Amino acid sequence: MAAQFLSGRGFKEVYSLEGGIKAWQGIKAVGPVELNLDLIRGDESPAEMIETAYGMEGALGNYYQIASEEVKDAEVASLLKKLRDIEKRHQQLLMDQYGKLNTPDFEGPQVLVDLLPPILEGGFRFSEFLNQNKAAMETVSGVLDVAMMVETQALDLYLRFGRKTTEESTQKILHKIADEEKAHLEALGKLRDKESIADLRGQGSPYPPIPKNNI
Amino acid sequence: MFLKNFFTPVKTLEPEEVKNYIAQHPEGTYALIDVRQPGEYEKEHLPGARLIPLPDLGDSLDSLDPEKPTMVY
Repeated sequence: MAAQFLSGRGFKEVYSLEGGIKAWQGIKAVGPVELNLDLIRGDESPAEMIETAYGMEGALGNYYQIASEEVKDAEVASLLKKLRDIEKRHQQLLMDQYGKLNTPDFEGPQVLVDLLPPILEGGFRFSEFLNQNKAAMETVSGVLDVAMMVETQALDLYLRFGRKTTEESTQKILHKIADEEKAHLEALGKLRDKESIADLRGQGSPYPPIPKNNI
Repeated sequence: MFLKNFFTPVKTLEPEEVKNYIAQHPEGTYALIDVRQPGEYEKEHLPGARLIPLPDLGDSLDSLDPEKPTMVY
């Protein structure tokens, strides 16, 4: 009905999701539109937005680091370290974006080191997150489920940030970050699907090869 | 006008097709719209979907780009 309405109002290409959200096979985001939107003002410059994202990615990376030190299972610890490294790579990509801005006072990564906030990527509060997910972080599948949930919320949040943002150039940065999150989420999904693990090897996957009997 | 709207054919996409579309297209090049009520959106929604409840859709047209592929659910 909504699709027909838009189509009749001159929208050139309108599609309706067959079966609605109930038919959706994939992780869904939760929370109201305004969830965690208070983390930004809305008029941030691209540089400010990159700093915010850098901090949240870094905070999640730190969380994975701490969890990897605490967990007993070596396999789980190794996965957590991989997830930490992915966040580090995201941070590097953000630094690359930052460098391209030609910000006059750009001094390199050291500027951002002190910015790690107690808010994880996706808008999670560190201590709450730690308590809520402790049990799940004991197994490989549990860790992957938590990681996918976090990335889903992060993707959703970055895009809601984008809609709150008034600066077009900042919006573009957020779209770029969201695209990164989508790629990350897709790779995690493949990793979560045990049957696909063997296929992941040697196909340009960002993940290092994982021995089949390891997961 | 009413009849025209009523009979305008609309394509449907399978969930897998929507998933692939989202994965393969950069953000900003398409729109994904959730036309349900805020309570339903809060409970669960497709990541990145923009909430425009059906009754508000008519008033929100100015903020949408008719040139961009638009997926609704």
